[in-house]
Amino acid sequence: MIRNLSLAIAATAALATAASAESVKIGFSIAKTGLFAAGAPSQLNAYELWREQVNAKGGLNVAGKKMMVEFVQYDDQSNPGNAVKIYEKLITDDKVNLLLAPWGTPHHFAVAAVLEKYKFPMVGNTAASVQLREIKAGYIWFPTSTIPDKMAVEMVKLLKANGYKTAALINNVLPFAKEFKAAIVPELKKSGIELKVSEEYPPDIKDMTAMLSKVKAASPQAVIVLSYPSDSVLYAKQAKEIGISAPFQFVAIGPTIDFYSKAVGPAANGFVTMGHWSPHKAEWKRAKPFYDAYVKKFNEKPDYLDTVLSYMSCEILEQAVAKAGLDKEKIRQAISTMTFDTINGPVKFQGVQNAITPTAFLQIQGDELQIIWPKSIATSSFKAKTGW
Amino acid sequence: MDAILSGQLLAAALVTGALYALTALGLNLVYGTMRLLNVAHGDLVMIGAYVAFWAFTLLALSPLLSLLGSAALAALLGLALYYGLFRRLLDGGKAAQRLEANSLLLFFGVSVIVQNLAALQFTSTPRGFQYLDEVYHFGNIAVTGNRIAAFLVAIAICLGVMAFLRFHVTGLAIKALIQRRDAAAIVGVNIERVQILTLCLGFATASVAGALVSMTEQISPFMGFPFTIAAFVVIILGGLGNITGGIAAGFLLGLLETYGVALTSSAYRSILVYGVFVLILLVRPQGLLGGRRTVR
Repeated sequence: MIRNLSLAIAATAALATAASAESVKIGFSIAKTGLFAAGAPSQLNAYELWREQVNAKGGLNVAGKKMMVEFVQYDDQSNPGNAVKIYEKLITDDKVNLLLAPWGTPHHFAVAAVLEKYKFPMVGNTAASVQLREIKAGYIWFPTSTIPDKMAVEMVKLLKANGYKTAALINNVLPFAKEFKAAIVPELKKSGIELKVSEEYPPDIKDMTAMLSKVKAASPQAVIVLSYPSDSVLYAKQAKEIGISAPFQFVAIGPTIDFYSKAVGPAANGFVTMGHWSPHKAEWKRAKPFYDAYVKKFNEKPDYLDTVLSYMSCEILEQAVAKAGLDKEKIRQAISTMTFDTINGPVKFQGVQNAITPTAFLQIQGDELQIIWPKSIATSSFKAKTGW
Repeated sequence: MDAILSGQLLAAALVTGALYALTALGLNLVYGTMRLLNVAHGDLVMIGAYVAFWAFTLLALSPLLSLLGSAALAALLGLALYYGLFRRLLDGGKAAQRLEANSLLLFFGVSVIVQNLAALQFTSTPRGFQYLDEVYHFGNIAVTGNRIAAFLVAIAICLGVMAFLRFHVTGLAIKALIQRRDAAAIVGVNIERVQILTLCLGFATASVAGALVSMTEQISPFMGFPFTIAAFVVIILGGLGNITGGIAAGFLLGLLETYGVALTSSAYRSILVYGVFVLILLVRPQGLLGGRRTVR
């Protein structure tokens, strides 16, 4: 039995080696368990779809030579410290050819130092923070445009454009929401929009009745909810119950994920949320085919934020490698200088940031998420929320 | 201030309280009869929620019906754990003296395994569905149908279990076991049978709580932990092993949380809840309603 088993192991190992001779190894860590596990599938699905598509075309174009894509992945248990060790192992022990990003802002920040140390370029995706600008440019890039301070400015413009003068703000105390709050409160003040209610709540909140009663009593025109997926569900259900009637309701994280509309239904109609992508943007030629392929493979819609960013990071890497091959320094230069054609339109980096994709907002309109701000990339116009 | 006096807050507090009471009920039964500290209790809530979700999504079955399936599955899990893990532990010998500590470690392991199996099986993608989502108005109070249903079912089960413990011979045996384990054996209570039944009942009620919660919250493999914590706070408040006390404490926590938050801010929720928890442990470790070994 043991003999058979060891033979089997040896045979499998031999197969793996045979396969890797013709393949390009791409490594990453993924939060399969722990705090971020609920968010991570949106990223992993994008990676898997991309690998499937690339391999179906005969492999990844590595400076003219086609090579099959093979993933090396480990669970980082949602712990940034583990991600650091995993990326070290991927680079030094597994000797992967390329890297994809882990999930979430803290993990990106944690592995940035490893990339710097080994001079190994990696395109980030699911990270958004004002602090990312403080990361030294060179080996990591962020395609997102949902940076809190830029969003605060754009949101106030959107509110002003629709003539809204009063607002209420409720926010989760987790870092991204706090950053957003710190940015938007002074912007509202500067623009003369009166902030009638401002309340914070903990991540494990189970009932918002007390807080939403205060919001309702103040009857603001805009309700800004800086929430994460579980409290975004709670907000929709309880704001409907209590009858919040503001025409502008912004719900930060959640509405772009497929499960949200299933959990909340028509109540979410009219919610504004963060995001800069829609399959309805005809000028982005790759957008709709990506959407269709994703829905076909996973039988659900992609997350318009994380899945899209993750897939974009794959596209950017693919196009850089097609030009530069597998030489790290050449890849780094390619990513820093090229303009990439992605499902989210053209992307070009200045420093660590995407210099082309504008900060934008989406709105749930019926069954669809439409880009409603800014006008330059809008697929629909903002419509006031009329009821539940 | 108007908000404080409005019925809206009272309604929210009662719904929250009823769910806390139901969630903690099972933990209390299991601890009371067997001194098992079930830190995987919240994961039973999660299992119940997934059963309700899949039954609704795949079979279009109302969570109010599929909660029977939730209960059955959790009871089976209880049975399996009893024979697989706890029977030997409860059988006496040296291990029995360290029962609480050992069970805590074992259940911690069970919790990790159950969560990860759920993540493997269902992926960690959050889930949700809409059922009884329409809003009903009673005067100036607005409540969604699913919260009313959750409240009524939770109350009915709590009262049912209390009646069972008071009037049914097996219920009396469970109470006997909670009060004096040795004496119960002497007067002819079939300890093993009662233990199995209690474990299944405790698991089943937690799972039903999950089916109810699934109508109002998102579902994910890792949703259980806050329920474990809430259940522990409730049974400490009510007195460990004191079933009626636990149910009352569930409502007390619901009221405390809702009104505490309304008077201060949502940011103080955890400080309030755990502050009271620590205070009770310091000044009344037997629980607010504890103190007597009689179980009512």
